[in-house]
Amino acid sequence: MSEATLLAIFEDLDPAANAIDTLHEMGVGDENINVISGVPVAHKILGRPHPWTNVSKLSMGGAVAGFAFGIFLNFGTPHLYGIQVGGQYVTPIPPGAIVTFEMTMLFALLATFLGVFLDSYFPNYRPLEYVDEVSDGKIAVFFRVAEDDAKKFTDAMNTLGAESVKPAEARQL
Amino acid sequence: MTASSKYLSGAHEAHDAHHEEDPKQYLMYDPKPRGEMNAMVMESMHTTSWKFWVVLGVLSFLVVTCFFFAWGYMIDEGLYVGGVMRPAYWGVFLVNTVFWIGISHAGTFISAILRVFKAEFRRPFTRAAELMTTFGLIQAGASIFMHMGRVWLSYWMFPIPNARQLWPNFHSPLMWDLLAISTYVLGSTMYLFLPLIPDLAMARDRSTGWRKTFYKILALGFRGTEGEWRHLTVAMNFFAFAIIPVMFSVHTIVSWDFAMAMRPGWSSSVFGPYFVLGALHSGMGAVAMVLFVMRATMKHMDYFIRKEHFDALGKLMLMVTFAYTYFFFNDYIVQWYGGDKATDNLLHWLEEGPMAWMFLQFVFFNIVIPPLLLWSKKVRETPWLLALIGLMINVGMYWERYLIIPVMLTINRMPFTWKLFQPRLEIFLTIGTFSMFLLFYMIVSRLIPLIPVWEVQEGQMTHSLRKVGKAKLPTISEFE
Repeated sequence: MSEATLLAIFEDLDPAANAIDTLHEMGVGDENINVISGVPVAHKILGRPHPWTNVSKLSMGGAVAGFAFGIFLNFGTPHLYGIQVGGQYVTPIPPGAIVTFEMTMLFALLATFLGVFLDSYFPNYRPLEYVDEVSDGKIAVFFRVAEDDAKKFTDAMNTLGAESVKPAEARQL
Repeated sequence: MTASSKYLSGAHEAHDAHHEEDPKQYLMYDPKPRGEMNAMVMESMHTTSWKFWVVLGVLSFLVVTCFFFAWGYMIDEGLYVGGVMRPAYWGVFLVNTVFWIGISHAGTFISAILRVFKAEFRRPFTRAAELMTTFGLIQAGASIFMHMGRVWLSYWMFPIPNARQLWPNFHSPLMWDLLAISTYVLGSTMYLFLPLIPDLAMARDRSTGWRKTFYKILALGFRGTEGEWRHLTVAMNFFAFAIIPVMFSVHTIVSWDFAMAMRPGWSSSVFGPYFVLGALHSGMGAVAMVLFVMRATMKHMDYFIRKEHFDALGKLMLMVTFAYTYFFFNDYIVQWYGGDKATDNLLHWLEEGPMAWMFLQFVFFNIVIPPLLLWSKKVRETPWLLALIGLMINVGMYWERYLIIPVMLTINRMPFTWKLFQPRLEIFLTIGTFSMFLLFYMIVSRLIPLIPVWEVQEGQMTHSLRKVGKAKLPTISEFE
C-alpha cells in the first residue's frame, strides 16, 4: 500500500494542537507526524513526545576532552621541550588551572556547536519538505498516511481549521 | 487649603495617568503579524540612502589608509614609527586591545546573562550587542598583532611541535591571553551564529538572486522542525551559561598582564574584577550608542527598539557604574594608603602632572556623570542623551586604559627614564581599527537581520494582558 505525505497549514497553535490530537485518534503515530514552526514550540503545547537531542551529551564530552587536552598542555608538553627558569617549577598547578579551564570551555563550546550540526544534519542543501509561510508564523503539520485515506484526512484537517491541506513536496530551499 | 487640595488633586491625576499607561508602548504587548515583522526587518536591510554609501566610502578609505597602509608601513620601517620607545614599550596598541576587549564584553553580558535570567527586554537587541563582541574582538586581535611587530612569526605562540626547540611557556600571562581570547572569539562567534540561523532561513525565504544564495548557504537547510528547534535551544542555553565564565576569565586574564608585574599602579589584587567591570562599563555605553544609531538610521527600528529598552539599558549602566566606582576606589585607596614611594609619585603625577586632564576627565566621565544623570528616567528614556553618556563613558574608559599602560610604564621606579609618551603612527592605526569596526557594522547591517525576529515573536507569544478586576495586567507565560 503506497503512502502519501500531507501538509496541513494552521494559523495558530491551538488548531494545530487539535489537529495533532485528531491525527492520533485517527491512528497516525507520532513517528509519522512532524511539525514545523517559525518559533520554538514546547512539545507539551502540541501534545508531542519530547524530542531527543545529543547536544548536551556532546557538550559534556567536549568538556572532558578539553580538560584532558588542557592537562596535556600543562603537564605533558613542558617535559617535551623543557624551559628551565631559575627557581620555578616546570609544571606549576596555578597557571595550569587557567590553561585547563580555557581548554575545557573551548572544547565544550566547540562540541556544542558541532552537536547542533550533527543532530540537525546541517548543512543540508538537498530538496526538503517545507513551506515559506512557516517563517511568517504559520504552523505546518506534516503527516504520513495511506494514499487511499488521504481524502479522509484532508477533510478532517479542513474541518479543524487548516488554511490549506495539500500533498507535501520536497523542494530546493 | 486650596494649595493643598490642588496638590492632592494633581497627585490623583498623576496616579490615574499611571494606571492608564498604554501597555502597547512595550514591544512585548504590541505584537504585529510575523509576516509584517519579517517584511519590516527585510526592508531595513534593503533600504540604503546616499548618506549610507558616503559614510561607507569614507570608512573604506580610512581602513585602506589608516589600517592597511599604515600597518604595512610600520612592518616595513619597524615598530619605532608607531611611537613605542624606552621606557614604554607597551603603547597605544595595547590600549586599543584592552579597549576593544572591553567593548566586546557587553555583547555577551547582555545576551547571555539576560537570557539566563530571562530578562525580556533583551530580545530585540541581543544580536546588535553580540555583533559588537565579534567585531570588537577582531579589532582587539588586530591590535595585538600590530603590537607584535613581526606578525608572520605569530605561529610561535601556538603549541605545535617545531624544529626550533621552543615551546610556548604556559606560565606566562601572555599565553593565557592567547588561549582566553581565542576561546572567547570562537565562543562568541558561535553564540552569534546559532540564534541567527532561523532568521537567515527567514531571509532565505524572502530573497532572490545573490542574496538568496547567500542566505541559503548560511541557513544550512534550517526548516524549523521540532528536532532542529530542540537542538538549537539546548545549545543556546548551554552557550548562555558557559560563555559567562569565559567572558569573566578573558578580561581578568587581560588585567593579569599588568597585575602580575611588580610595578607601581599595576600590582593590585583587585585588578581582575576592576577590569571586568570596566569592560562592562564601556561595553554598555557602546551598546547605547549602537542602539541609538540603529534606531536613528535604519528603517522600522523605532518599532523594535523603544524607550523601554533605553530605560532598561540605562538602569544596567547605572548599576555597573556603581560597581565600577567601588572597585576603582578600592584599587586607588589601597595604593594611596600603601606608602610606596614610587606609587606615591605616580599618583601625584596623575593628579597634578601633564596628564592630569586625562585622569580628571576619566573620573568625571566614568564616575561622576553617569550616576548624576542616569537616576532620572527621563534621561534614560532619551536615546540621544543615553548615547551621549555612553560616548563619554567610552572616552573616559579609553583614557583609563591609556593611563594604565603607557603612562604608568613611563612613571616608573627609575625617574631618570621618565618621559611623556608620544604616540605617532599608533594614532592612525587607532583610527584604522575604529573605522574597520564601524565599516564591518555597516556592511553587516545590510546583510543579516540585526533584529532577532523569531526571538521577538517568541516573546510576544508569551506575553499577554490578563483582566484582573477592572485592570488589565501584563502577564508572562512560561512556554518552555
